[in-house]
Amino acid sequence: MTTGLGATMVRAGRRLLSSLPALFGVLVFTFLLMRVLPGDPAVFFASGPNAGKEEIEQIRKQMGLDRSVPEQLVFYLSDIGHGNLGRSMMTGQPVLKDLRERLPASLELTFTALLIALIAAVPLGVVAALKPGSIVDHGVRLFCALGVCVPTFVSGLLLIYVFYYLLGLAPDPTGRVDVFTSLPPQRTGFLSIDFLLAGDIEGWWAACKQLILPAVSMALFVIAPLARITRASMLVSLGSDFVRTARSVGLSWRKVVVTYALRNAILPVITIAGIVFSTMLGANVLVEKVFSWPGVASYALDALLSSDYAPVQGFVLLMASLFVLVNLVVDICYGIADPRVSIA
Amino acid sequence: MRFVSFRPAASVLATTALLLIATAPSQAQTRAETLRYVTGSAVNTLDPNIPGSTRESFALSMSTYDRLVAFGRKQLNGKWVFDLDTITGELAESYDVSPDGLKLTFRLRKDAKFQDGSPVTAEDVKWSLDRCVTAPILGKAQLLTGSLTSADQFKVIDPLTIEVTLPKPDKLALPNLATVYPMIINSKVAKEHATADDPWATAWLKEHTAGSGAYVVETFKPGEQVIIKRDEAWNRGTANKPAFFKRVIIQSVPEPATRANLVERGDADLVVDLQASDVQSLEAKGKLKVVSTPQYNAITYVSMNNQMPPFDNVNVRRAIAYALPYDDMFKAALFGRGAPLFGATWPDGKPLNGIYPFQQPVKLDLDKAREYLKAAGLPEGFSTTFSFNVGQSSTAEPMAALVKESLGKIGIKVDIQKLPDAQMSTQINEKKLPFYTEGIVAWLPSTDYFYRNFYTGNQRWNYSSINNPDLAAIAQEARFEPDKAKYEEAGRKLNAMHADLMPQIMLWQPNQDAVMASSVEGYTYEFHRQVDYRDVSRK
Repeated sequence: MTTGLGATMVRAGRRLLSSLPALFGVLVFTFLLMRVLPGDPAVFFASGPNAGKEEIEQIRKQMGLDRSVPEQLVFYLSDIGHGNLGRSMMTGQPVLKDLRERLPASLELTFTALLIALIAAVPLGVVAALKPGSIVDHGVRLFCALGVCVPTFVSGLLLIYVFYYLLGLAPDPTGRVDVFTSLPPQRTGFLSIDFLLAGDIEGWWAACKQLILPAVSMALFVIAPLARITRASMLVSLGSDFVRTARSVGLSWRKVVVTYALRNAILPVITIAGIVFSTMLGANVLVEKVFSWPGVASYALDALLSSDYAPVQGFVLLMASLFVLVNLVVDICYGIADPRVSIA
Repeated sequence: MRFVSFRPAASVLATTALLLIATAPSQAQTRAETLRYVTGSAVNTLDPNIPGSTRESFALSMSTYDRLVAFGRKQLNGKWVFDLDTITGELAESYDVSPDGLKLTFRLRKDAKFQDGSPVTAEDVKWSLDRCVTAPILGKAQLLTGSLTSADQFKVIDPLTIEVTLPKPDKLALPNLATVYPMIINSKVAKEHATADDPWATAWLKEHTAGSGAYVVETFKPGEQVIIKRDEAWNRGTANKPAFFKRVIIQSVPEPATRANLVERGDADLVVDLQASDVQSLEAKGKLKVVSTPQYNAITYVSMNNQMPPFDNVNVRRAIAYALPYDDMFKAALFGRGAPLFGATWPDGKPLNGIYPFQQPVKLDLDKAREYLKAAGLPEGFSTTFSFNVGQSSTAEPMAALVKESLGKIGIKVDIQKLPDAQMSTQINEKKLPFYTEGIVAWLPSTDYFYRNFYTGNQRWNYSSINNPDLAAIAQEARFEPDKAKYEEAGRKLNAMHADLMPQIMLWQPNQDAVMASSVEGYTYEFHRQVDYRDVSRK
């Protein structure tokens, strides 16, 4: 068993190394892409009521845009090498600082949403697979179809309308915590954890309440793929020989379904969950906008609209790195779920 | 090895349900003394002089810093607006303008203190004004419009007196000192943070304040929220009292529908950037106070590039001016919330007065438009694109559709082009767009200022790219015209030229719709088009 774990770690390390060229490619590609886009950030940001040519030139210089593109690329790469992602014109802060403050917000939201989605999707998929073609199966299918059909910002606005505006149950949808609540000392950046570490139960409660609506509206959207995959692979494993054998020797229903069938059916679900997680992290921009959530996706969108190069580049790099990490974690999970799987 | 157990999952599910059922917590007792202002934009710097600073940053600096002077306020159709013609002292106790208009003398208040407790001296004023005209910051271009260009123009007479000399008697010199940029900074503190590369401490002042304003910055999260706290010692308000609200929370809420919900539920007190449709429904419900002021220093245009065929032909421009469905556009884009700049009648064909912007004598008249097209030698029409930026799509999109439909009737085929904001401003700057809609704003709205900045020169704000030496000469001359009657005459001439040449079409001045809790009072429309937190109070 220990050699198995060691081998997994070695393979994971090799995997990490082999993804470095891909990361570098993403870096250069994004850099060039931003330069090819037609907007000129200097003109956009020099939009005070009297900003003229001089101001535009000055901003261009400040952003380093007065140099040639290859020169800019060299400077950019050397900055990255020193851990400097540049400065955002939009917020006036170093991009690294912005991302460090905003990433935990996005991660907290995405993790919660994924957790809610898994908790809902796996049982739904299992139930649907146990009685294919029944009312329950159709019900699950309908629910999933609805979840996918309704775009996240619509379900978000709908949830706000019902739970905040009409019923007054949810707190106002403005960010991670009520403006009147004082923040805990920052340790992990995950407010629900930081509040607990600070022993502030009331604050934790406030943070959790802010988290629920956006997390649910995100979860609704991804329950469908997870539930469908669970159902499909459960059907396969329920129809396989070992389940038939297990049933025939009289094992309990629970043992058959949960221990044997589900365990074997869970691999594709893990794969999909990994993909869903990465997608959610980048694509939850609408939810972040609707709930004024200070996350990385809305930050990147704003930057893109105003051609603010540094934040967009920083964001893409971050997403690429996260993607690599998530894939790695998924592979390791494979190993745990099914020791026969190797990730060479 | 067991892989999945559903028991913890079930308990999380139960917790989730519980959380949803729970009701909102009691809010802090100081809620009545706190103003919560929500906005779609965000504060990105504490020094409004930094290139790229947002309008919210301008508004914040009005409360965190004082200036030498401030604009008064007046009532316009029952609503409070800033008054360009009344300039009162802020840090200055009083000021004199010499008879020849070349010398301004300011005497500072003896009791004025910076937020760190040190007194405000003429040295601080000089350092701050020097910074504004010397450092590579936004104030430079602004103060230029008031003939303030060099540090030599500011002289310390004694610790409480400062003198400003002008090369010409410029009417806009004094009002310029009341704008956002020439704020008075605590020079001792700022100098401590200056470096050889950055002698004016721009990097430090971006993240910190060192002023004498009504509010002290408590927390500053760029792009998210700013919380400011009242300075109890501040007494530069009208009643010699500190500002009303103890705390002001300025919070970014990007989604306009959420902002409308917040203010309707009473969780936010004040918002000025709602969608016109939301404002209308909130006004109809009657629970909230809605103060709608036409932004009388801002104008929305349909612009045509006067250097680019076919719009270089004056008759094509006139044809367009008679082919726009003004009333429908006004209703579709703004729900009629604004002041129209079309549909006037000029009895003898001459401008009614010398004030810009003016209501143009144009209306939808397709027969006339066809005649003009014929006169231009294009009876069959032509094809062109009509552009607007994504940021304005809620008003510009319905408008563009109506423009396309109406121009189609006289044979002009229009392709609608929706551009990301940065791309739009780049193309405007490079003069590449033939036909588009865009808006402008002037902090110091006087006729000559509008014509000089928006109708002359090869620069970004000359949307129509008009190059008419006569118009430029009249506007330039009017700038230093001390005689009111002659100034008015020049204004009439310029307006007549505008109506004749039709370089671009003025559409309207959109309303600033401030929606607030019914307990909030004193809201004033300010030149920077944001809220001055010092104006408002609670009943």
